[in-house]
Amino acid sequence: MEKILEVRNLTKKFKQIAVNNISFDVEKGNVYGLLGPNGSGKSTTFGMLLSTINPTSGHWKWFGKEGTDTETLKKIGAIIEQPNFYPYLSAEKNLEIVATIKGAPKQRIDQVLETVNLLTRKKDVFSSYSLGMKQRLAIASALLANPEVLILDEPTNGLDPEGIIQIRDIINSIAKSGTTIIVASHLLDEIEKICSHVIVLKHGSAIYSGSVDAMSNTKGFFELKGDDNIALISALNSLNIFASVKETDKLVVAQISEDMSASDLNKKLFEKGIFLSHLMKKKESLETQFLELVKQSNS
Amino acid sequence: MIRLLKLEYLKNLNYRPFKIFAGIYFLILIALLFVGLVDFDILGAKVNLKEQGMYNFPSIWNFTTYIVGLLKIFLGCIIVFSICQEFSNRMFKQNLIDGLSREEFIASKLLTITVFTAFSTLFVFVVTFILGKSYSATQESDLIFKEIYFIFNYFLKLFTFFSFLMFLSVLFRKSIFVFLGFFMIWFAELILSGVEKFSIVQKFDPKQPAEQINHTYLTDFLPLGSMSNLIPNPAIRTNMAKMFGMEFKFEYPFYSVIACIVWSIIFVAGSYYILKKKDW
Repeated sequence: MEKILEVRNLTKKFKQIAVNNISFDVEKGNVYGLLGPNGSGKSTTFGMLLSTINPTSGHWKWFGKEGTDTETLKKIGAIIEQPNFYPYLSAEKNLEIVATIKGAPKQRIDQVLETVNLLTRKKDVFSSYSLGMKQRLAIASALLANPEVLILDEPTNGLDPEGIIQIRDIINSIAKSGTTIIVASHLLDEIEKICSHVIVLKHGSAIYSGSVDAMSNTKGFFELKGDDNIALISALNSLNIFASVKETDKLVVAQISEDMSASDLNKKLFEKGIFLSHLMKKKESLETQFLELVKQSNS
Repeated sequence: MIRLLKLEYLKNLNYRPFKIFAGIYFLILIALLFVGLVDFDILGAKVNLKEQGMYNFPSIWNFTTYIVGLLKIFLGCIIVFSICQEFSNRMFKQNLIDGLSREEFIASKLLTITVFTAFSTLFVFVVTFILGKSYSATQESDLIFKEIYFIFNYFLKLFTFFSFLMFLSVLFRKSIFVFLGFFMIWFAELILSGVEKFSIVQKFDPKQPAEQINHTYLTDFLPLGSMSNLIPNPAIRTNMAKMFGMEFKFEYPFYSVIACIVWSIIFVAGSYYILKKKDW
C-alpha cells in the first residue's frame, strides 16, 4: 500500500506538551479518523503537518518527501478549525485567490462551487454566508486543486443537523472517488460512518492507531428480548458460549466470546423452547470503544 | 512575481480601507500641490507660497517632495490595515496552508509597497515637473534637474516608511497597536534626540563652534530620524526666510540614505523572522 504520510515521534511543546511523541502512517485511499477529546492535540498535529506550527522534535514524510513544502501543500486540501476567507470578497474572488496560490485552473472554481451547491451564491460576499455555507465553501476551496489528500478538522463543528448531513454526504462522495481523507472530530458517530481507520489521541499521545475493526478485541454482542426474560437468561447461560449475560432496559445483552451467527443462536434457543421477539447482533459503537480505550489508558 | 502581484491585486482591490485611503490620498495630494496658488492670511500679512518661490526650479523638488511626504501616512494606513487584516481574519495561516510560503507572503507585501511607492513617486515627479514648467521663475535646463535627487530621496523615504509599518504590522498584528507603537517610537525618537542635542549643547565650546554645529547626532540614524533627514524642511528656503537672513545650507544626506537602506533591510528581515518563528 502506498504511504501518503508517515509521522515519526512528532512532539510539540508550548508551555505544556501538546503533542507527545506520536507516530502513525496514512495509506492511500483510506479514510482516517483522528479522534480525541478537546485539547488532545488534534489541531496542533495538523498545524505541524501543514507547516503553520514549528515542531519541537520529530519528523514526517508527505508522499515520501521529508517535511512539508509549498509543492506538497498544493497537493493537500485542508480545512482547519473554522472556514477562513476574506470576509469582504465574494466566494468566487476568494476561490480565485486560492486558485492563484495553488496554481489551479480558473475553470475549477465553478466546478467545486457546483459540488458544494453554492454556484448560485458565488457573487455574494463571504461575510453574508451562513455557517453551513461557509463550511461548504471551505470544502470547495480544499477541493479546488484536485488534492490527493483532504484534511478536515472538525468539518461539522457548529452546524445544524441538516448542515451536518450535507457535509457528510459531500465527504462520503469524495471518499468514494478514492481521495485519501484525514478527518478530526469528536463526533464519534460521524467518524464511525465514514472512517476505515482511526488514530486516537489523548493528552497529546496516540493511544491507538489502526483500523476501526481491530480497535476493540471484543467480537460484539447480541441484543435479545423474549416473552419471559428470566427463562431467556437461564437458557443463554446454559449455552455457555457468552462472556456475560445482562439484562438492561427489558433487553438482554449477551457478550460474545465465541463467534456465532444470529440465526444459529435463534435455532438453539428455539430448540430450548424460547421464542424471541427481538434478536440483533451488534458491534460496539465507536463511542463505547473509544471510551473504553481512554479508560484503559487512564489505569 | 506576476502571481504575487495578482494575489495582492485580488486581495486589495475590493478592500474598503484601500478605496477610502487611496481616494483621500489623491484628493489631498492634488489640493496640496496647488496650494501655492492660493493667498493665505497669516497674522494679517498676505502670504502666497508661489511668491515665496515655492514653484521655482530647482527648489520646487524640495518643496513638493517634502509636502507630499507628509501625506505618506494615508498610504501607510492602507499597508497597515491590509497586512493586519491578514492576521485578524486568519488569512495568513490559511494562505500558508493553501501553499503560499512565508517568503512569498513577505515578497507579495513588498511588491505592494514598491508599487505604492513607485506610483506615488511617479505622480509627484510628473506633477512637480508640470507645476515647475508652468510657474517657475527660472526655466534654465541645468537648474530644472539640479535637485532631482529629491525624487530619489522621496522614493527611499516612502519605501523605508512602509517597510517600517509592515514590520510593526507583522509584530503587533492589530492595527490599533501598530498605530500606538508607531507613535510611541516617534515620541521616543523625539525625546532621545532632544536629550542628545541638549547634552551636546551643554558641552558647547565657543572656541570650536563650527565643528560642533556639524556634529553628527547618533539619534539622526534612528528610523524616523533618518527618513526625515532625506528631505529637509523647505520653509527655510522661502523668500520670507531669506528676508530674515536665514541661509539654506544643504548637503546631500549620504549617511541618511545608507541608514534608510539599512533600516529597510532590517525591517524586511525582521518581518520574515517573526513569520518564521511564530506558531500560527
